[in-house]
This record gives sequence, C-alpha cells and structure tokens, in this order.
Amino acid sequence: MPDPLLYLESMGAAAIASALCVLAMAAWRRPAGTTRFNAACVLAMCLGIVAGNSVLSLGMTWPPANGLDRLMTVVIPAALAIELIAGIQRLPSAVAWFLRLGLAAATPRILLHGSVYLNGASGGWSAGEAVITLAAWSTLPGVLWVLLHWLSQRSCSGVSISLALALAIQSAGLTIMLAGYIKGGAAAIPLTATIATTAIGAGLAASRFAPAIVGVGVVNLFGVLFVGRFFGQISTGSALAILLAPLLCWATEIRQLRSRSPRLVGTLRLILVAIPLVVVLAVAKREFDRKMGPLLGISHSILNSSLSWTLSITRRA
Amino acid sequence: MRNCLRVSIQSLLVGAFFCAAGQSLFAADEYTYDSVHSSVSFKARHLDISWIHGRFNEVEGKFSIDRQDPSKSTFQLKIKAESVDTANKARDEHLRQPDYFDTKQFPTIEFKSTSTKAITGGYEVTGDFTMHGKTKKITLVLKGGKEIDFRGKKIVGFSTEIALKRSDFDFDKSQIGLIGDEALIYIDCEGSRM
Repeated sequence: MPDPLLYLESMGAAAIASALCVLAMAAWRRPAGTTRFNAACVLAMCLGIVAGNSVLSLGMTWPPANGLDRLMTVVIPAALAIELIAGIQRLPSAVAWFLRLGLAAATPRILLHGSVYLNGASGGWSAGEAVITLAAWSTLPGVLWVLLHWLSQRSCSGVSISLALALAIQSAGLTIMLAGYIKGGAAAIPLTATIATTAIGAGLAASRFAPAIVGVGVVNLFGVLFVGRFFGQISTGSALAILLAPLLCWATEIRQLRSRSPRLVGTLRLILVAIPLVVVLAVAKREFDRKMGPLLGISHSILNSSLSWTLSITRRA
Repeated sequence: MRNCLRVSIQSLLVGAFFCAAGQSLFAADEYTYDSVHSSVSFKARHLDISWIHGRFNEVEGKFSIDRQDPSKSTFQLKIKAESVDTANKARDEHLRQPDYFDTKQFPTIEFKSTSTKAITGGYEVTGDFTMHGKTKKITLVLKGGKEIDFRGKKIVGFSTEIALKRSDFDFDKSQIGLIGDEALIYIDCEGSRM
C-alpha cells in the first residue's frame, strides 16, 4: 500500500540534502567558477537522491535485480558522473555530447537487461523487434536532452526548464502508481524533490543555472517512464505524452514571448507543460477507478455516496 | 549346423528378454506433467481476516521415479508466473507487476529436486525453489506415488502443500500488510507415461 508519510519523509530528506549542499556552495567565500558550480550541483543531486532513496529503501541491492534497481544503481549514477565530467570547462563539447548521447542510447538496453523482452522467452521480442524497439526508445532521451539543453543555453529562464522536468517526473510517478506499480511510482518522489530543490537553490543562491540539472532530470524522467512502461503497465501514449511534455517550454521562444520578463516566461512554460500532464493524470485516475476501484472498495463508496446524494435530493423535493 | 543355429537363436532370445526385464527392473520411470489433471494453486491472507485464492494456469514439468532406488528419483516443475489467475483480471494484472511477481523480469517459478527419499505414503523431496529471481532450498512432502494403468497409459499422482514467505524471496516488503507475507501453495499433479 502507498505510504504518504514515508513519501513525505523521502521528499524532505532529498530536498534537505540537496539544499544543504547548494547552500554550502553559496556560503563559499570565493565565487565558484563554472566547473565548480556545476560539480556542486551534481553533488547536491547525488546527495539528494541517495538520502531520498535510503528513506524508501530503493536501489540498495547489488547486483541489481530488476529494471528499477538498474535505474538507481547504474543509469542515474552514470548520468551524474557524465554531467560531472561534461561540466569541466576545458572539455570539448563534442566529448561531453558523445558521453551524454552514449548514455541515452544505452539506457533502454541497460534497463531491459535479463527481462523477457530480450532473453528470447515466450512473450518476448524477436531479434528484429528488439532492434527496432530499442532503437526507437534510445533516440527519445537523446533528442529530449539536446533540445532542452539548447533551450537552457539560449533562454533567460533555465530554472523553469528544470522545474518543468521535475513536474513531469512527479506526474510520471503518479501515473505509474495509479497503473498499479507503487514502488516504481514512489521512486519518482526523491528524484523530483532533488531536481526542484537543486534548480531553485542554485538559482536563488548563485543566480545561475547548471546544465547538469537538465541532463540528470532528462535521464531521471526517461528512466522512470521506461521502467513504468515496460515493467509496469502505463500505456505507450501516456509515457510519450509525459516524456515530451517538457518540450512545450520551447513555445515561449516565439517572438512575442521571448522578450518578456524571465519570471513571466518561466511561469508560462510551467503552465504549458502542466496541461498535458494534467490530462494524462486525469485519464490514469479514471482507469484506476475503473480497474482498481472494485478491488479497493472504491466503487462501493462512490455508489454509496451517489445513493445518499440522490436520497437527499429526493427528500428535499 | 542346425544345432548351432538353434543355440544362437536361443541365446539371442534370452539376451533380449534380460535386456527388456533389466530396463523395467532397474531404470527409473519417466513421467510428463499432465496439465489437464493437475493444478498449482495458492492462498494468501487478505487484511489478516480472510483468504484470497488463486492458481497458475500454465505449468509444465517432468519427474522420474526409481522404485528400486528412490534416492535416484527426480522432480522438476516450471510455472509461468504470467499465468496467475485469482478470478479478477485487475488483481491479476497487479500481481504481474514488479511490486509482486515482476513477470517481465522473472517469468518463471521453478522447482528442481536435489535429493529424494522414500517415506511412508510418498517421498520427501528437497530441492531448489526459484521465485522472483531468488533461489532457496525447500523440502516438499509428496503424498502418493502409486501407479495405475488407465487405457494403456501409466499414471501416477502426487499431492503436496507448503507455506512460503514472500519476504524470503525479496518481494517488496512495503506491499506486505494488505496481502499477508505467508502464502500456502498446493500442488496436485498427475504424470503419465506410455
């Protein structure tokens, strides 16, 4: 059963760990260079994820047994390491992008390792199907990463992109939970808290934005959705809608909006991104009520409340 | 010449008889799991007040029984986790997800015997039981084992039950509570040979 108190504790632990790290960086006497600033943000995200996951007892097993374990112990640490390296100012950007796109391409294969999809078991994929499906899903995080990174470089409000990613990660978690995979959905909670706190903390404390937050956010979002799609039971449509929702941040690049204040642009971005996310969540909730409601006795309570409402109307009449 | 031929034929016949008799006397009998007349079912506590019943619809297995030397008998069973059936489609889909069986990662539940000994009314079989990617040694008390001849087929049947804890097989601990940790598993199987 979902444990809201535990989720709050996890969210709090992740947020506090990330915030303390960002504040420590801000309290540093000398102003941090780009490399050090980026490294501090990566460290803040690393501490936040570890603190939040330890509350939820996630990713504590080695070797990882399932898709979620592989996301927590292989993919996310790799994303943090790559963003730490990519943040080194002297490093050619081609090398940084080679590493980023390499991880994006490898993530689906890593997450599906040992599963029925790839081991030739009945209900799995043929070799051709595996190649096509992996190729299609490997392209998505790379495209998202490039487009959001590009937007964060050219726009004035990079923090809003990270917040849009945090919003999408949290929506992904809720959708996965509503589809019946509670642990998979809960995994999104510390990730959301970490991305949001690091982005806000870096923006407030240093008035700067670290591209590493977007990179780690994209990998987190893709990983959670991919696990929810292939090991849980969220639909491909819902997964794609949530994954691509942060791209709506690009809408504020039209000439009429681009020159507006960063605060207005940021708010508009979050509203635009929230629209498809709310629609996906509403559909997921409806499916949950239809499928899981009878199991949890929800249909009876809805029925009872409808009956009592009808009775009260009748009495009044 | 004629005597020599007679002796050769007699020797061949005697040899063939002993070969055939030796086969049936000393070799183990191989049986194939009969999925039509067998079932693997389970029940688990719900809210600690009642029981939920379910079964696995797709099971395959084989066993060999050596009646002369029961320690040489072997038993194997492979259950397709995806075939879980609790007479409620939504609950079955939930049980297939990673919070429970994680059927995309761990598609089968398997038992493979490592030692067998004869006991009164059956066999005590110890073996490796793999569920949810975790293998543990368990001991099953198989009751039955009597072979009958039914329309030219040799049929043997066994029944067993065992209590297993989900937490011993790395099931998500946060999902224990609504559905109890312990599950009682019932295996009633028939095997046949020609």
